[in-house]
Amino acid sequence: MAVDEGHRTVSVTINGIEIEVPQGELIVESVKRLGLEIPVFCYHPRMKPVGMCRMCLVEIGFKQPDGSVRMMPKPQAGCTLPASEGMVVLTDSESVHRDRKGVLEFLLVNHPLDCPVCDRGGECPLQNNTLAYGPSTSRFIDLKRHLPKAYPLSQYVMLDLERCIQCGRCVRFTEEISGEHELAFRFRGASMQPSTFQLLDFESKFSGNVIEICPVGALTSAQYRFRARPWDLQTTPAVCTACSNGCNVWFDHRAGRFVRINGRINEGVNEEWTCDKGKFGHDYYNSTDRLRTPLVRKGDQFVEATWAEAYEEIVKGLESAGKDVAGLCGTRIANEGLFLFNRLFKQVLGSRSVDHRWTRTLGTSRVQTPIAGIEGKKGVLVFGSNPAEDLPIVFLRLRKAATRNGTQVTVVTPDVTEADAFATVASRIGQGDVLKVAQEIVDGQSELARKVADCLKEDGAIVTSDRVRNLPGGGEALRLLEDLAARCGAEFNCYPTGPNAMGAELLGVLPGDGGLDTWGILQGCCSGTIKALWLLDCDPTTVEGGDQALESAEFLVYQGVTRSEATAFANVVLPMAAPAEQDGTWTNCERRLQRMTQAIAAPGDSKPAWRIFSEVILRLQPSTPFFNPREIMKAIADADPRFLPGASDLPEEGAILSATTQAAMAGDGA
Amino acid sequence: MSETVAIGTPRPRAPRPEELDLKFSESAVAELDALKTHYPDLKSCILPGLWIAQREYGGWLPPEAIAEVAFRLNRSFAEVEGVATFYTMYNTAHKPGRHMIEVCTCLSCHVCGAYRIVDYLEEKLGVKLGETTPDGMFTIHEVECLDACDRAPVLQIGDQYVGPVTSEMVDKILDDLRKVETPSAVQLSDAVVKVHLRDGDK
Amino acid sequence: MSFEVFRDVAKPIIAGFGITSRRLLQQKEKRATIQYPEDRREQFTRTRWRHVLTRYDSGLERCIGCSLCAGACPARCIYVEAAENSDSDRRSPGERYAARYEINLLRCIFCGYCQEACPTGAIVLRKDFELANYDREDFLYTKEMLLEPIRE
Repeated sequence: MAVDEGHRTVSVTINGIEIEVPQGELIVESVKRLGLEIPVFCYHPRMKPVGMCRMCLVEIGFKQPDGSVRMMPKPQAGCTLPASEGMVVLTDSESVHRDRKGVLEFLLVNHPLDCPVCDRGGECPLQNNTLAYGPSTSRFIDLKRHLPKAYPLSQYVMLDLERCIQCGRCVRFTEEISGEHELAFRFRGASMQPSTFQLLDFESKFSGNVIEICPVGALTSAQYRFRARPWDLQTTPAVCTACSNGCNVWFDHRAGRFVRINGRINEGVNEEWTCDKGKFGHDYYNSTDRLRTPLVRKGDQFVEATWAEAYEEIVKGLESAGKDVAGLCGTRIANEGLFLFNRLFKQVLGSRSVDHRWTRTLGTSRVQTPIAGIEGKKGVLVFGSNPAEDLPIVFLRLRKAATRNGTQVTVVTPDVTEADAFATVASRIGQGDVLKVAQEIVDGQSELARKVADCLKEDGAIVTSDRVRNLPGGGEALRLLEDLAARCGAEFNCYPTGPNAMGAELLGVLPGDGGLDTWGILQGCCSGTIKALWLLDCDPTTVEGGDQALESAEFLVYQGVTRSEATAFANVVLPMAAPAEQDGTWTNCERRLQRMTQAIAAPGDSKPAWRIFSEVILRLQPSTPFFNPREIMKAIADADPRFLPGASDLPEEGAILSATTQAAMAGDGA
Repeated sequence: MSETVAIGTPRPRAPRPEELDLKFSESAVAELDALKTHYPDLKSCILPGLWIAQREYGGWLPPEAIAEVAFRLNRSFAEVEGVATFYTMYNTAHKPGRHMIEVCTCLSCHVCGAYRIVDYLEEKLGVKLGETTPDGMFTIHEVECLDACDRAPVLQIGDQYVGPVTSEMVDKILDDLRKVETPSAVQLSDAVVKVHLRDGDK
Repeated sequence: MSFEVFRDVAKPIIAGFGITSRRLLQQKEKRATIQYPEDRREQFTRTRWRHVLTRYDSGLERCIGCSLCAGACPARCIYVEAAENSDSDRRSPGERYAARYEINLLRCIFCGYCQEACPTGAIVLRKDFELANYDREDFLYTKEMLLEPIRE
């Protein structure tokens, strides 16, 4: 909000107080500088103003050369009015209050008063503004407009047309932010209604956001429907752990149970948006499949056990396996848990076979552009993976870059992507042709290669994800593109897609010298070279050969949040706390380290991953255990200076870790 | 939207571009291509595109017609539907009869007896305003000012104005219309498209 | 000294006994005390005791599970969980009904704010004051206990 140097400022008088604001700033924003507020419905700071709701009416005047003020005869909409020199704004005059009253009375003419059953009731801008500025009663005595209620627009979004006040926020969101333009106003006048084409499925991957930006209860969440009222909820700032983007969210919970996810502002990551995968993908917190107590196999069945019994069993199993042990982990585990997992295998058990990657060909990710940095790029090549699917927030930035900053986007993917809509070139990769196409681009002979070169020639970036490694030849293709990027001075980004995959990589949860990788470990289980296997919140049965591997492993520990297919093969099952049920730090795909504090208690006997490993290590090797995640973070920072920001208090928006240890040392010195 | 849908019912999804059943004739596609060049972006071409569609789909815009226009102009379905449902001269709700008789009932026409004509039409055809005769021949509508107050009361049929009308004239008009094969909405749409094309050539 | 003792101590005691003996001889209906479990005194119209969830004449519950009572409650003793009505299983008019409704009467201070906040007049504080019980758990009144029986 600070006034930019170099931008022309103008002096505006707001309620008698003169301030300098950037020229062209909207009045509705300018008044915030004085701590004042103009009530709004349709205005949203991240979208273009439309002036549809008329709630922001203010009195405007201009200073005349003789010093007098000439007021405009009618009130003006503050959300569409740019500040200019000598402007006089009155936000608190009698006539403004009368106008607001009038506008609210009009809006409420057709708005049903079903606030007690409305999911928005309690956090509703229309309620708040009516209470603050509106009339206490309505003079309207006729029948209100009646339209269908609770219409399921998609599996996530419910539409209640009676409550709609036609502000157009949802329509503009799909047009300006997510870009599918799936919602539009149909009909006109009093019967105007926002809807999808023929009220068909609202397919957007970002549909959840319209629920949050709707200023009334017209668009509500099907999942949250009638689950709680806002005053029942407690909320905790959290980080979304659905994918590697690490969106900042509010984790709303009631009586110790997860209820819903809302977007939280972090300008560097998600601005304030969430994707549907994140917003609606946290069901597992309340799943009936949650593991609650440690289970130990006795013959054919599992017996509930205490932690001590489970640990005893594990120590026996691991000791009899000697050095033929291996660990596989998923990526929905905080840095602290991953660090101790790594330490357990590499230092305590002396095995080098640890891995967190599950792509068909394995490789390491390389990220040079932070998410917000995409906005400033001149050209971006999207290769091999659909960003809207794999990296939703990167996709939103990419779209913003293309539509607002004119970034040239070239899309080269196997399937149709949402990014095609704003791409200058969209090219498809045929079945199994990834390597061929990459080679073609690198060779620079074909039409496509010329277009890519043109796109990357100045301040360019390549955006791709580790999903490309699942395609035949994908790993090799990424290597080729990395070289290409280095040659044309572009930044290369192969973003990992697992929630804390970047953390796992930085912490070195990778096979050490002579150690086996994921596929080697699974083969080793089959051939008997790996005797004991520890599965940390991952399910190898979903990959090829996983079933046989788990069957042939002599000793199998499954540690997870929920039951999975792999649980059935285990000798010992350990219940683990889910991300928001523990303190911990998370590293997103741009190496942003973010801290999450415990929001709710873990169910049953489940414990956070770090505690489980701390206790197992204690039993295998007498040492001082770690008592809390902060101590572990300090140990991590001692071992790896890149993590130094985590050792102290992290800023609210997190801290981006440097890519290399040397850079971190240099940065620390400076 | 009068239907109510139970919560949790999966919604049918919008058709994918490759699933569309495209009905524009070759000449219509050529016309649309010509019109596209008249505007700075394709969004501006939605209105003339819908006129072509209304002609090609026999005088109205079923959802498929809207989808086809959206596909041909590379816009989203919802956006084009929003435009089509906004304007009353696009028939989006249902297919009108072969001939649409639109009676102006604004001030001048009202004073000169427009409602007498309406009553006469209703009695003669046996339908109310906004309805279509069972044989699908006529639809009568009440419209706002047609800017032909000098000829009040005035009727619009296709792109033709008829007025001042009397009850006796109505009989003759109806008899004449029965012999005309081209639906009036198609004829009107065609006339509008021609105007658009001509204006662009200037 | 002894006069003062008589005036301040003995005289009031004797006076008190006087009242007792006078009342003892009075008619039954004039007595200040009643034989409680057998006889009950009429309560004031606005007495606020145990909560009741009322129904409409049609037998539908008035409560729509809006949780406003829980929001208004200064003792935070009300817990409401709502659910969606369906046509086959209709509990209340409209979309929503209370699937769970619990009041912890140990916490309740009988202020009546819940009654005031209720938009449908579902929760009312009535005159049932005999709330003593043996277990803490028994003071957790569930929806089934609070709901008024259907009137025939």
